[in-house]
Amino acid sequence: MSKSDVVVIGNGLAGLVSALVSADQGKKVTLLSYGAGTFPLNSGLIDVLGYDDAGKTVKNPIEAIASVADGHPYKKIGVDTVKEALDYFKDIVKSEGMPYVGSADQQQWVVTGVGTMKPTCLVPESMQGNKCFNAGEVVLVGIKYLKDYYVEMVKENLAEILGKDKKYSVVEVDTKLQGGRDLTTRDVAVWMDTEAGYNDFVAQLKAQAGSGKVFVVPQVLGTKTNVVYSKIVKDLGCDVVETTCMPPSINGLRLRDVLLSALKKRGIRVIENAKAEDAEFSANRAVSIKAGGETRLQTYEADKFILATGGFYSGGITMRDFGEGKEGVFGCDVVTDCEEATWANKQLFSDKKQGFALAGVKTYDDLRAIRAGGIIENLYVVGRNLTGYDFCFEHSGNGVALASAFKAAKA
Amino acid sequence: MVKDKATVVIVGGGATGVGILRDLSMRGIDALLIEKLDMVNGASSRYHGLLHSGARYAVRDQEAAKECIEENTILRRIGKSCVEATMGMFVQVEGDDPDFVQPWLDGCAASGIKTRELSKEEAWATVPNLSRKLVCAYEVPDGAIDGFRMSWQNLQSAARYGGRYKTYTEIIGINIESGAVKSISVRDNVTHEEYEIECQILVNAAGPWAGKVAQLAGLDCNVSPSKGTLIAFNQRITSHVVNRLRKPSNGDIFVPHGSITILGTSSITIPDPEDTSTSWDEVEELMKTGEGVFEHLRDYRILRVFAGSRPLYVPKGAEGGRNASRGFVTIDHEVEDGLKGMMTICGGKFTTYRLMAEKFCDVLAPKLNNTAKCRTAEEDLVPEVTEADKKKARQYFPSYGVSLAATRLGVEKFADVVKTLESDPESREVICECENVTLAEIKAIANESTSHSVADVRRRTRLGMGTCQGNYCALRAAAVANKFFKNKLDDCSNSLSDMKNFLQARWKGITPVMAGKTLREAEMTRGMYEVLFNVNGGRPE
Repeated sequence: MSKSDVVVIGNGLAGLVSALVSADQGKKVTLLSYGAGTFPLNSGLIDVLGYDDAGKTVKNPIEAIASVADGHPYKKIGVDTVKEALDYFKDIVKSEGMPYVGSADQQQWVVTGVGTMKPTCLVPESMQGNKCFNAGEVVLVGIKYLKDYYVEMVKENLAEILGKDKKYSVVEVDTKLQGGRDLTTRDVAVWMDTEAGYNDFVAQLKAQAGSGKVFVVPQVLGTKTNVVYSKIVKDLGCDVVETTCMPPSINGLRLRDVLLSALKKRGIRVIENAKAEDAEFSANRAVSIKAGGETRLQTYEADKFILATGGFYSGGITMRDFGEGKEGVFGCDVVTDCEEATWANKQLFSDKKQGFALAGVKTYDDLRAIRAGGIIENLYVVGRNLTGYDFCFEHSGNGVALASAFKAAKA
Repeated sequence: MVKDKATVVIVGGGATGVGILRDLSMRGIDALLIEKLDMVNGASSRYHGLLHSGARYAVRDQEAAKECIEENTILRRIGKSCVEATMGMFVQVEGDDPDFVQPWLDGCAASGIKTRELSKEEAWATVPNLSRKLVCAYEVPDGAIDGFRMSWQNLQSAARYGGRYKTYTEIIGINIESGAVKSISVRDNVTHEEYEIECQILVNAAGPWAGKVAQLAGLDCNVSPSKGTLIAFNQRITSHVVNRLRKPSNGDIFVPHGSITILGTSSITIPDPEDTSTSWDEVEELMKTGEGVFEHLRDYRILRVFAGSRPLYVPKGAEGGRNASRGFVTIDHEVEDGLKGMMTICGGKFTTYRLMAEKFCDVLAPKLNNTAKCRTAEEDLVPEVTEADKKKARQYFPSYGVSLAATRLGVEKFADVVKTLESDPESREVICECENVTLAEIKAIANESTSHSVADVRRRTRLGMGTCQGNYCALRAAAVANKFFKNKLDDCSNSLSDMKNFLQARWKGITPVMAGKTLREAEMTRGMYEVLFNVNGGRPE
């Protein structure tokens, strides 16, 4: 048995930020983690609000979130808190050596792994797709045997967006790593961490480098922070832009490392392989939860709990039978509006939000959880656990995660 | 304009049509099969894939039961690479009608179907997931069959004897002169070109579409499309085919195929055979019944739900739906309607497709003064791939996928693919890990004359049809296919739309079962393609 001021359940972006902010409030924090969070699938970009309800690109995210519909997490979080949360995040990643650029009032554009562009607010230095706009020539870098990155496809789609007045060329790098299996971005990023790999990579691009050019590369510029990026722009003498890539998302993992490092500095206790199973209550308060591996459950007591176990993907929300959504740890009330016509749209890539994506835990405006119609006074709900937003349609996932975590931890 | 001719033209690329093409070709008759879309896109691939022992029909239709057990034995022999000789089980659980058992046993005995009673312990030992409410169980020689692959093997076999086939070729008119069919008009659904094909005999083997084809000649053919909905689970829930021992009804058959299990099926009479939509109610009905046999059914992940139309033939005044006969009819329109040179075949079931073709061709061949005997039961569909080629292939991709790839590709093409793998290291990329499809195989299939889109390649190779349902391979498939098929079909203009179409085709089967573990997959798919890749085509203003 151990007692903390705050127990955070979940180690995705929302969980880690909840723990950090809580610790910065002087609290004794325990973080229960199970798996790697969603970081291997997470872009590591801070999307705040890319698209409005009609699917139109949002120009000024911070302005737009002031007018989101009732029930949307941003409505509960509030504009000022979103701003503060973004500033907090920028400080943290900067102090950990992986600075992000951008702001809440305009979109940054990132090149994706298929050659489209996506709007987001905060990007690591290595992914500033905006740099393509002013370049005279875009050099697309492919990597021999690299899986899930088709340089011709990226070129075709990106050229369509950036227009015909630029030059586009392709160069293929041979890592000579291929040894009986396909390469992943992680294989190449690990190779780039080595001096020999880095030098080989630069040598193969050097001939194409020049002013007015920008290199677009898959997400392979090292596994850690922005070390490789800072070096390579100097060595090549021109801009380099990483795309998003098929999982495992290297940038998501970089962000995870950086946040875990910040956690460590704050002395936050991280319990691994601790799957939260069950909670105990006293009147309207949660007293403790049980968590653990296959054999032994530990009890964790706290004055405050923050639930960051994620949505359907992470298993924080489940729905075995239609209409019967469950939140597995505290048994919170879950919104699942299961109407056949709206639960899942006919089109996967639809022009409206998917009903099932809006499922999540019911909360009050201060993000405190609702259970059996009443409040749990010391349980806060953050990130994809929340109901009322479709993070895929809106491009708002990490924004909501970050801002809700910030608000819950400050409360 | 006449652009082609054949002695016999067969309309319909399902099991019935390909069976007739093979049969005629082996008798030495010049035949051409046309199919309006891709091969085997109807009920021959949209069913549970049960190789009937006949036991399901033992009470009500012993003639069908006898045909099934005979054909079951033949198909195991001539098409062994398409058959999983699993054996089957008929089970009763608490609440099932005990009075059904004895007549069923008698019917099986009379039809020549061997049954063996299993003790409950034996049944649970064989299929551990079976309900604890089990009352009795009998073993029968059911099996699982891959209808899609077997149909293709029929085409490959027919081609060896000169049989020809064209996909995306739709019949749009039947041209009659002095009471006899002279030619048909067709439209190429890829190029939109229209032309004529001359023939002496037109065979209408269009399954649930047979009524529509007959109408082109002004004839009535009372086919009642009956939709059957099926659920594919991502696990091999059972090692045996499991049937409910009761009057045949919805949702009482489980068939294991490789790593998945199919639960079927419903029977709903529908006006339009194109309708393969499915609803929550249909799914729920199947699940409710299925739970009677496998109590934990809802804890398994559902891969997808799909539907196909049975071509039930309803004689005037008879009943359709579940009570319509599963037998088949041969209609000689010369005898029935006074139109020379046109025959229709209708009804039947996959297990007896070969026999149907035999009986049908026994009527057709004499019209052409051909007296050759049917030989389709004597010869294997395709020669076996050599061990030497398989051994070579194992050097380049995981060995468990080798046999599957070998039966998909057939002996010559498999050897070609292995050669490509040997000489071109980049072609060894595994594009689809779930089904073990290499770039070399995709290239080989994409280059065939019947391939016009990534969907055609998908069906042939099983690319994207496994556990991940295209989550990981949609990008790869689109990037590769775009090189081969750019602008060939409508809506294939670039790799992005290819990728979206590929995932959308999977989505159709996923939305009706968007609960349980399926939700997890859906959230992941969207996270990857909408958030990471912004496939809806984000661009700055």
